[in-house]
Amino acid sequence: MTILYRLNSIRKCYGSSVVLDIDGLTIVDSRLYTLIGANGAGKSTLLNILAFLSPPTAGEIFYAGKRVDWNHGSVEEPRRKVTLLHQSPYLFEGTVHANVAFGLKARGIPGEERRRTVEKALAIVGLQGFGDRKSRELSGGETQRVAMARALALKPEVLLLDEPLANIDRETTGLLETVIASLPAQGTTVVMTTHNPEHPGRLNGESIFLEGGRVVPRTTV
Amino acid sequence: MDFLFSSFAAALRLTGSFSPDVVDAVVTSLAVSAGATVFAALFGIPLGLLVGLSDFPLKRLVVTVLNTLMAVPTVVVGLLVYGFLSRQGPLGALGLLFTPTAIVIGGVLLAAPITANYSLASVRGADPRIVPTALTLGAGRFLAVGTLIGEIRFGILAAVIAGFGRVVSEVGVAMMLGGNIRGYTRTMTTAIALETSKGEFAFGMALGIVLMTVALLVNLFLSFLQRK
Repeated sequence: MTILYRLNSIRKCYGSSVVLDIDGLTIVDSRLYTLIGANGAGKSTLLNILAFLSPPTAGEIFYAGKRVDWNHGSVEEPRRKVTLLHQSPYLFEGTVHANVAFGLKARGIPGEERRRTVEKALAIVGLQGFGDRKSRELSGGETQRVAMARALALKPEVLLLDEPLANIDRETTGLLETVIASLPAQGTTVVMTTHNPEHPGRLNGESIFLEGGRVVPRTTV
Repeated sequence: MDFLFSSFAAALRLTGSFSPDVVDAVVTSLAVSAGATVFAALFGIPLGLLVGLSDFPLKRLVVTVLNTLMAVPTVVVGLLVYGFLSRQGPLGALGLLFTPTAIVIGGVLLAAPITANYSLASVRGADPRIVPTALTLGAGRFLAVGTLIGEIRFGILAAVIAGFGRVVSEVGVAMMLGGNIRGYTRTMTTAIALETSKGEFAFGMALGIVLMTVALLVNLFLSFLQRK
């Protein structure tokens, strides 16, 4: 068991309002965590910090034992090991293939390997043959699955999912739940936010309860 | 009304006859406008992107100044540049006054605020998820900004087209800095002003038709690029 994240006295403030105030939090590798809390509990803020997209106002974070330096040049290294999938994901203009290949291209993966990886990732989410489709012509569920394929193609150490199962049909939900539940066994740590109290049990996950920006033993929501 | 119709008919005949004076004015107009637009884009687009993507203490003031510069009358720009380029001016020794280069300089000052503001507006109107999505997929800062530019490219293209429109249609700068020299600095707009004042209404109208046609072609080109 390796500790991936260690958060010490993390605070995030917008103006005078404190939206996150966590004394300590540890996340270990190859596990699935569900972040549970009401709207405004700080779930998305925490995910953005864990994705190294937004620095905390105060406190320190260690990733794989190294203190995270939030300078632009330094933070890119840990950021490349983590991928955040937003609740309402954005697909770039162009084809599905170009979208899924984006992160692979950014990492300098050669063309042929990239093509194979993209096809494999699309197959995992049940979108074989969708590579040439225009991203703007996809349905909501298809968009969610392409975004998931785009994240899976990178084989990140940590996959952060912000309400990945909200606003999608039952069939897609079942498929994505299966994909998500299989990730820890493949070495990917998953941290996902959810409103659904059944998810931790169904996905065999460990729950982290957030209330008013604080980690609490259990929440009523 | 007869006067208008007969002038319009004569203008169509002149337009179709490719009179050397019309061709010269069209070529000069397009050349100085294209030159000014290129330099305005090279300066204005990065400025707009920079202002749009960064936070700094006087940002609001900079945006207000850029907005104000869009409304500066062309004759004021002409006057300012004239002051610099005239014999007594600090750049008088370069001998640029009443040359196409002088018109380009004035055109850059007219078009750059437009390209900057349109680019700024494009950044502001861009989907806020673009940059975080690129970053979380492993893009560095430059690739993330490049991705953003790619996503708002139609807005950037519109900035260039609007800049071109401002330069090709203005008369103050071309008249004051170019001097309306036949076959050298005479543009479509200065030719229209001159010919109309001489009573050559049909000739002015012919040039007006050409000017409108150029504007139409530029917009058709933009639409074509947007459909691609």
